[in-house]
Amino acid sequence: MRSLIPLGRRRRIRTPLVAVAASLLAASTLAGCGSSGPGGGKDTLEVWVYQDGSTTIQEDFVEQFNESSDIDVDLVQIPGANYQDRMRTAMGSSNAPDIFFNWGGGSISDFVDDDLLVDLTDTVQSDPELKDAFIPSILDAGAVDGHYYGIPMRGVQPVILFYNKTIFEEAGLSAPETWDDFENAVDTLLAEDITPIALGGLDSWTEQMWLEYLLDRIGGPEVFDRIRNGDSSAWGDPAVLRAAQEIKDLVDKDAFGNFQSLSQTDDGVSTFFAQGNAAMHLMGSWEFANQNTNQPDFAQNDLAWTTFPAFPDGAGDPTDVVGNPTNYWSINSQVTGDKLDAAIEFLKVSASQEYAEALAANGDVPVTSNATDLLDQSPAPEFAHFAYDLADQAPSFTLSWDQALVTARATPTLDAISKLFAGQLSPEEFVDTLQNEG
Amino acid sequence: MKAASSASPRTGRPGIAWAIPGVLYFVFFAGVPLVMVFYLSFTDWDGLANPHWVGGENWSKLWDDQRMRDAIWLSVLLTVLSWAVQTPLALLLGVWAAGKQRNRAVLSAIFFLPLLASSVALGLLWKTIFDSNLGLMAQISDWFNLDNADPLGSESGALWVIVFVSAWQWVPFHTLIYQGGARQIPRSFYDAASIDGAGTVRQFFTITLPQLRNTIVTSSVLMVVGALTYFDTVLIITRGGPGDATTIVPYLMYKEGFDSFNLGYASAVAVALVVVATAVSLLMVRLTGFSRMRSTREGM
Amino acid sequence: MTQTTTDQAGRPTLATSGHGHAAPKAPRRRGRFSWHRVNYAAGAGAFLWLVIVVVPLYILVASTVQSRADYLDKGPISLPSDPNLDSYQNVLEGDFPRYLLNTVIVTVACAAIAVVLSVMVAYSVVRTRSRLSRGIFQAFLLGLAIPAQAVIIPVFWIITKLQLYDTLLAIILPTAAFSLPVSVLILVGTMRDIEEELYESMALDGASPARMLLQLAVPMSRAGISTVAVFSALTAWNGFLFPLILTQSPENRVLTLGLYDFVGEFRVDIPSLLAAVVLSMLPIFTAYLFARRQLINGLMGVGGR
Repeated sequence: MRSLIPLGRRRRIRTPLVAVAASLLAASTLAGCGSSGPGGGKDTLEVWVYQDGSTTIQEDFVEQFNESSDIDVDLVQIPGANYQDRMRTAMGSSNAPDIFFNWGGGSISDFVDDDLLVDLTDTVQSDPELKDAFIPSILDAGAVDGHYYGIPMRGVQPVILFYNKTIFEEAGLSAPETWDDFENAVDTLLAEDITPIALGGLDSWTEQMWLEYLLDRIGGPEVFDRIRNGDSSAWGDPAVLRAAQEIKDLVDKDAFGNFQSLSQTDDGVSTFFAQGNAAMHLMGSWEFANQNTNQPDFAQNDLAWTTFPAFPDGAGDPTDVVGNPTNYWSINSQVTGDKLDAAIEFLKVSASQEYAEALAANGDVPVTSNATDLLDQSPAPEFAHFAYDLADQAPSFTLSWDQALVTARATPTLDAISKLFAGQLSPEEFVDTLQNEG
Repeated sequence: MKAASSASPRTGRPGIAWAIPGVLYFVFFAGVPLVMVFYLSFTDWDGLANPHWVGGENWSKLWDDQRMRDAIWLSVLLTVLSWAVQTPLALLLGVWAAGKQRNRAVLSAIFFLPLLASSVALGLLWKTIFDSNLGLMAQISDWFNLDNADPLGSESGALWVIVFVSAWQWVPFHTLIYQGGARQIPRSFYDAASIDGAGTVRQFFTITLPQLRNTIVTSSVLMVVGALTYFDTVLIITRGGPGDATTIVPYLMYKEGFDSFNLGYASAVAVALVVVATAVSLLMVRLTGFSRMRSTREGM
Repeated sequence: MTQTTTDQAGRPTLATSGHGHAAPKAPRRRGRFSWHRVNYAAGAGAFLWLVIVVVPLYILVASTVQSRADYLDKGPISLPSDPNLDSYQNVLEGDFPRYLLNTVIVTVACAAIAVVLSVMVAYSVVRTRSRLSRGIFQAFLLGLAIPAQAVIIPVFWIITKLQLYDTLLAIILPTAAFSLPVSVLILVGTMRDIEEELYESMALDGASPARMLLQLAVPMSRAGISTVAVFSALTAWNGFLFPLILTQSPENRVLTLGLYDFVGEFRVDIPSLLAAVVLSMLPIFTAYLFARRQLINGLMGVGGR
């Protein structure tokens, strides 16, 4: 009987293989129904955006754009803490977005190195209307090695020290102008059993804001400039150690309260702050629009803002700012021909007057050159002017570290910051770690 | 089908070809990746360009990486704690649920509920509950006018939260195993012991526990292998923090791979994970005599 | 490493159910487990565990019928003052139905692939004369030890090269593959129990292997097949890592990834977030009510992963 087996084998194979092929085919058909949307159909542009309170503006303008364009834009909204990770993962895949939201700088420099982005320099240079629409420094902040890869599409986002003026008044405090004022405020609030500072420890980029400002105030913007340009030894600057020590003091004092289980990306911190549980909150300017939407009472009655306190003997100018100049749209270099033309048309939308007006009406601070005229249309003109002037008059605008550094350096930096706040690294160890890895 | 009938008319046995589709499919999506992850651990790959060979660089870095040592230690700790918490609970509940009374059946059905949800759903539920600002902890602290308890805020607290949440999720499963095991203990053993005047507690230690020996082994092997790969819970509740207090090996791999995009290095971590998981399960199987059991029915 | 191993003859065996058909049944008499009756301590312990299980579930459900403002105000455990189903409406009006549909597609496809392939593999392993069968079986046994997490990076690479990134197929293909080992083991166990005489009598009628599979092996392994179907379906339903890495856009989001993303979408609207959690559990919960035994058997397979 054994001799029969080889004879039968060749033919027998078919039955099972056909069955499997059929079932796989069935499965792929099934899968097909679900995946018909994006994925680079011929006549749509897949546009990825981080989903938050401002996304409605992009929704509206996409709809408008699609009415007049032959090539439709399909807006894909990605929420949550790891937009950047997921966008980056997708960029390495076959189904990368055609146009995507990003922070410029280090967040896209890997893509530039691998020629994954459309160089927009010529487009911008040859179109004065586009080029002059934006504040030059903001447009330049998104450039990599002098080439434009992104067009600004949101408001300016300086990091601002928000505080609860009601709590401050009750405690007999006023907005801290110097670090001494600030420390005094922390001590007073602690004595009153109020958490001085709201902080979202689950998102280490919010912890990072404290270090960004402290390092700027103590050592000036030059220290981080050196780091950003690839000099890891600049982490050894005494100003970094000093900044880390200030953080450690604050953590040891309990100035941040129960910060480790709070998150900024799910609005936990903002709610905590709005409920009057904490007196201060260092956050990007978008926090105002956020509070104004979610806790309007708080935003109108209690919310106040100021610049980050000056350091007594620090090298940094107290009007320096850290944060994100804005967000940008970039185009995938796979996009060519008519689609590329349509993509560029879509990017130009954000240079339009209407777009800037919509941003302003949402509480954002537009980065177009004529923004000052629009600020009065903001739901909170007072805040809009403050944020605009802060960014406009700053001698230095340091890009958020995790956006300025390439991914391979940004993550270890955030990790080290998170461990510093968790007390797992002493200030000295923090400096050592960053010199080796950051 | 006609073809097959001519093959071996007397017994009509299928050829090995029937297994080929399944084998190829499995090899393609599990076997090949296993080989590839080993290859990738010798490359530098950022997820954008193609991987390029760097020899043992990742491995020497891994060897010196304090984070990896911490992650292995945390994984082991989490595994041991999970085992130590879940085993007694599941054992006692399983033996109790093996009884025939109706109320036990009803309660068992309720105990079973956590097993119906995904780790993601449970992670979100427990994250909400442990929220030091809006969660149950905050509310209880308010009642007693205490400072808000914040289990997720301390290093050991966060680890215990993971231990607790995974126990909550997996104890029902192991309870079922023990329930099955306990039901197979012949009643006559207990009758005899009762006649000798042995009390409940003594019966438990002299009859139930020894009889469940194999069940304990089965359950423990599953528990340990499962605990080595907790990932969803960590990602959702603690994101590996505070600091790196709950960064276990799979989470470290995820972070290195899909946050830092050091995919070559992450592959080295992944290989280490495979080695550790395989070694631990083989070791347990060897040490406990699991492999000598005639079948796991014996252990169920 | 599931509830499987090999017996002394090297033949694999597997228990597909926690109880019922293994050890000889003890003689039945009334008052079985007499020692249980007086065990108040155990009863108290069980009650305590009941509290631990039920309180979070109560919080889960109670939170969903509050308004966002109420929840923020009063916290999770208070009685809802004005119970309503707004949060459920909120969830159902959003992308939830699409995520649910995607999950159903993925689940059905995974179960189908796993059942078809594992039936064929098990049938071949159990019945073939080929010496390879043992090797194949051992390979699947070893396959049990591969944690899906450990190969996610190469799987990502493969899916990308197949141009399947961000499609449902990207989830289905690896998920089904990783439920194959347990499925094969379960079915090999079940099919071993089919008596040789039955095959022989069919063979006398000149039945082909395919006919024997369809008319004998499959009907006789119904229990095992349903276990495999439930197990692979549950694995797919609850799977998170593959969707997290291999898909992105809302069109292709399954429930687990959808829930994860709701955190960033609903933010502090905890009632809506938890309503989504409840809704995601509901289908399995319903299945539990109507097909408890099969579900439990399938779950015993899940633990093997």
